[in-house]
Amino acid sequence: MHPPSLQIMDISMPSDGPAAASLDASDTTLTPSPRVRRVRFYLTNEFGLVLLIIIFGAAFTFAVPRFLSHFNLFILGRTAAENIVIGFAMMVVVVTGGLDLSVGAIGVCAAMGGGWLMQVAGLPWPLAVIGGLLLGAALGFVNGWAVVRSGLHSFIITLASMSIFFGVMIFITRAQAFRSIPLSFASFAHIRYFGFISPLLLLAVVIMLALVYLYRLTALGREMLAAGARASAAELSGVRVKRVIILCHMLAGLLAGVAGLMLVARNDAAIPSMAGQLGQDWLLPAFLGPVLGGTLLSGGFVSPLGTLLGSFLLTLLTNGLLLLQIGQFWVEAVLGLLLLVAVLLDQARRSFIARRRMI
Amino acid sequence: MAEFLFEALGISKSFPGVMALQDVSLQMREASIHALLGENGAGKSTLIKIITGIHRPDAGELRLAGTPIELTSPRDAMAKRIGVVHQERNLIPRFSVGENIYLEQLAGRPLKPLRYPELYRQSRKWLDLLDLDVDPATPVSRLSVAKMQLVEIAKALALDSRVLLLDEPTASLTPHETVTLFKVLKRLRDDGVSMLFVSHKLEEVGELCDQVTVLRDGRNAAHSQPLQGLGRQDLVQLMIGRKEQIADWPARNFAAATPALALKGVSTILGHRDIDLTVKRGEILGLYGLVGAGRTELAKCIIGQFAVTEGSVEIQGKAVKIASVADAIHRHGIGYVSEDRKAEGLILMHSVLANAGITVWRNLGHHGLPLTDGRIRSRIEPFVRRLEVRTPSLAQLVGNLSGGNQQKISVAKWLAAGVKVLIVDEPSVGIDIKTKAYLHELLRELSDTGTAVLVITSDMPEMITLADRIAVMNDYRIEGTITNTRDYEEMSSRIMSLIHRVEAA
Amino acid sequence: MQFLSRYGRTDWFGPLLVTILAAIIVGSLSPSFLSAFNIQVLLLAVAINALVAYSQMIIIAIGEMNLSVGAIGGLAAISFAGMMQVWHMPILPAALLGILIGLLGGIINGVIISLTGISAFVITLASLSIYKGINLGITEAQPFYGIPNLVKHLGNAPFLGPLPWLIIPTAIVGFGLWLMLTRLPIGRCILAVGGNRHAAELSGISIRLTVIVAHALSGAIAALAGILLCARLQIGQPTIGDDWLILSFAAPVIGGAVLTGGHVSVGATTLGVVIVAIITEALVLFNIDPFLVQVVLGVLILWAVGINRLREFRLKPLRRA
Repeated sequence: MHPPSLQIMDISMPSDGPAAASLDASDTTLTPSPRVRRVRFYLTNEFGLVLLIIIFGAAFTFAVPRFLSHFNLFILGRTAAENIVIGFAMMVVVVTGGLDLSVGAIGVCAAMGGGWLMQVAGLPWPLAVIGGLLLGAALGFVNGWAVVRSGLHSFIITLASMSIFFGVMIFITRAQAFRSIPLSFASFAHIRYFGFISPLLLLAVVIMLALVYLYRLTALGREMLAAGARASAAELSGVRVKRVIILCHMLAGLLAGVAGLMLVARNDAAIPSMAGQLGQDWLLPAFLGPVLGGTLLSGGFVSPLGTLLGSFLLTLLTNGLLLLQIGQFWVEAVLGLLLLVAVLLDQARRSFIARRRMI
Repeated sequence: MAEFLFEALGISKSFPGVMALQDVSLQMREASIHALLGENGAGKSTLIKIITGIHRPDAGELRLAGTPIELTSPRDAMAKRIGVVHQERNLIPRFSVGENIYLEQLAGRPLKPLRYPELYRQSRKWLDLLDLDVDPATPVSRLSVAKMQLVEIAKALALDSRVLLLDEPTASLTPHETVTLFKVLKRLRDDGVSMLFVSHKLEEVGELCDQVTVLRDGRNAAHSQPLQGLGRQDLVQLMIGRKEQIADWPARNFAAATPALALKGVSTILGHRDIDLTVKRGEILGLYGLVGAGRTELAKCIIGQFAVTEGSVEIQGKAVKIASVADAIHRHGIGYVSEDRKAEGLILMHSVLANAGITVWRNLGHHGLPLTDGRIRSRIEPFVRRLEVRTPSLAQLVGNLSGGNQQKISVAKWLAAGVKVLIVDEPSVGIDIKTKAYLHELLRELSDTGTAVLVITSDMPEMITLADRIAVMNDYRIEGTITNTRDYEEMSSRIMSLIHRVEAA
Repeated sequence: MQFLSRYGRTDWFGPLLVTILAAIIVGSLSPSFLSAFNIQVLLLAVAINALVAYSQMIIIAIGEMNLSVGAIGGLAAISFAGMMQVWHMPILPAALLGILIGLLGGIINGVIISLTGISAFVITLASLSIYKGINLGITEAQPFYGIPNLVKHLGNAPFLGPLPWLIIPTAIVGFGLWLMLTRLPIGRCILAVGGNRHAAELSGISIRLTVIVAHALSGAIAALAGILLCARLQIGQPTIGDDWLILSFAAPVIGGAVLTGGHVSVGATTLGVVIVAIITEALVLFNIDPFLVQVVLGVLILWAVGINRLREFRLKPLRRA
């Protein structure tokens, strides 16, 4: 036998400890220098968003003192919670490089399902909520299954399904709202902790933490990112890509359901038109949050914290502009402009980082 | 009339962090075929992009018939009658053959109505010149790959090209189609066209070309020399800077070893028939064949991506049904290193940690503990270090690493997963000589530890270096299996005769 | 058999068969379907919806998408109505200005997309909100009522038998697009860019310019659709265009358009619009819930993409993919 120049014999049974410890030689050291890390931090989306939130927050406080009133902060937080969860619903599909135009339609369907269970079927509200969420996840499953089976881009599939889900929902409900929502459920949207914190906002933060856990600390979450970045490579590395994509769509449906039920609690009613025609009104906030937060639309990279901050910023802007009496009709134009500016800035940031090879 | 029709003199070009070309020259004569040789990464494609106006050189000049020229866009090059047939297909699939040939004309006059009968009549001329018998009105998507290739040449000729660049035109052709193509090219040469033929199949170069330029590490290793008198070994030496060596590894005996992977009478949905193949524990089995012989496709059937329709697959002596790739990896311990590293092997936008760890997530996640970076790191870092992957950190994006280091990572992830059978598809595509030799040693040592390795490669020296036995595949069938003696001449002639036996029949 | 396989390959054959079948079935179940009045109503819907579909089709041809079709149409419609009511502008200049606004909206989309390389989806989602926001900001969600009588007349009356005036501009645009996409280099460039962007670029076609031209055309056609709908409704509704998105994709997809670009058919897209119109009309005639129109549109899209996919598979051999 020839003498092996490098020992590979013990390769099949690596020990967990010693090999990983202390690395010294300069070109094999496996951690980035602290300076690079610090510069990189200031270039993150999250940092930029926090800065923007502070700047706009300060500006609105200066212009409209009412902005900092307990009541306004409460309203702001509650609306932000809805937008954050809507953003998450889109984000979990965007991770796969796809998108889900039907989040709004699913959200309304789940809300109407929950409303029906509470009002007509007379179930206790926790069961009704579970029912609504299951409906959301089931509709998400339909999307995911159709995408995987057809091999078509999720754009066209969810474009069709948003139309179908919404149409069937209107057909069944005859476009009638469910207005007898149990107070115990609706109160979630009206309780204030410390006078200005909505429990819904706390729920949104909890969901964010759960998503961070999913993507950073579970095999499934890592597989979702891998499948989104390059499905063929993930597949050949043993990721069950189809199953993972279906799960992403189900998660999107579930989160859309959460957002829908939040709206039910806030309105004390499940209203078919609460997300506009076909649920289209959710599309802008759904994309704004993740895009502002740095989630790549081509898939494979995600930032739950960024989405949370992005959705918060968008809510803050809406709230402030309304307080400034800009006229509610112009708010949408401003949000559109914000999306445009955000993607342009994001691209500039990316090319800057790529030039400096900082990542 | 200048002595040379086209010249590139003293060309240098650098990209951020890389010196791609350094003082490279090349002179092409009229009515001749000029070979451009070099390993992957030697700078061939950069030079082609400069000659066709896609990149601009940092220094040096291009001359056409003795006059210096500036090329700022592909359009510029076309106007100067420099045509190019790129490696990837550059046809519009739904357009007709004729319209594709005259695609360049579309851009010029956006509102002048097209007259198809006229266009088809004109394109007929170029098709006839290439002996290509297709109706110009046929959509390109209905043609075979070889015919598409000829349409691309027709397209370049239709610009009245005097200089024609052919970037690996035979890569996807069968031997028979290649012969036809060469006839055409020789006729074009006799008509006065000056051609630059880029290839790394040295046999073809020897048969076709008149002069040769060799690039090595972005510099001229040879500059427009006559090809006459240069043998295969000379060219190899120019390309890699030393003689081609077949490692002098002792033969190993596997008579007593148990089979790790065995295919018995396997047919697949992709069209394989009656495949019999055995890889024993600790053995390296080479699977040789030309492009399109169905080797990669067979690998993908073994790992469960496509279905096996008949026959049986046995792992460690037990017949198994592999339903999916995940199954192959996690249940049966089979790994696959893809030939297409960028598309199928790695996730370039993810970190080294994520790429090397992807195969162990499931396993580490089973215990219900959070799957932290630290746990993944401690599992994979020994392998990353053992393979001497050069990376600033495990957080580095794989896309920023060199081809060789990328390939090491795509091997490392299978070592981390502890597979019993490893299928390696074209292990040395796009990596430098040193890393290649290193990988070869690595695979050899891996097999010494008992892993069964199936190597797929079209690189004959690599095959003869690595394999213990060589199975030859042609047209989705196994033509025969021979024991490797590591005698290059003998082995290559036996392999070729197995392939040609079928060609001749 | 040969006849079938020859025509089966074309895009228009399937939709035409479905159109005829649908017309026969609906006509035999409800005789009033084939009345002159009903045909006129049908053609009015087709005239407007075909423009909506063309406006998306031209973007599908380059392999992109335009979510702002409805927003541009709506903005053009209220500008048209507003200029006539508030500034008392004559009809023709008002219409031309409206189309110009659409053209501009499209050019803005195209320029941003081609300069930045950001996906058309995000850019047009942003511009959708901007255009819609401007629309609402101007109108404050109130319609303009001051539409001249001539416009109201042209928007509803027939000029010959059941043929409405509105069908004329649509026919001109449809013919123009057909001519462009099959005979003019600019149209072929658009399809080449959609079919293989890299190859088109290497052949000297300016990707940037082609993308901008396609978006400009899309904007102008969407604006024309908005103006015609304004004439048809007899008021300048700010909600014009809100429900165009699904339809704009449904018709080209039914007409065999490939969503990745490079292949669209004007004739088949028009037939797609007709199919949708007949089914919508049938739902009304049979007193079926109009809400189901949405469901039908969704199902039609899925059905059509399924068929297109099958046709693609048949053209491509499985082996050596």
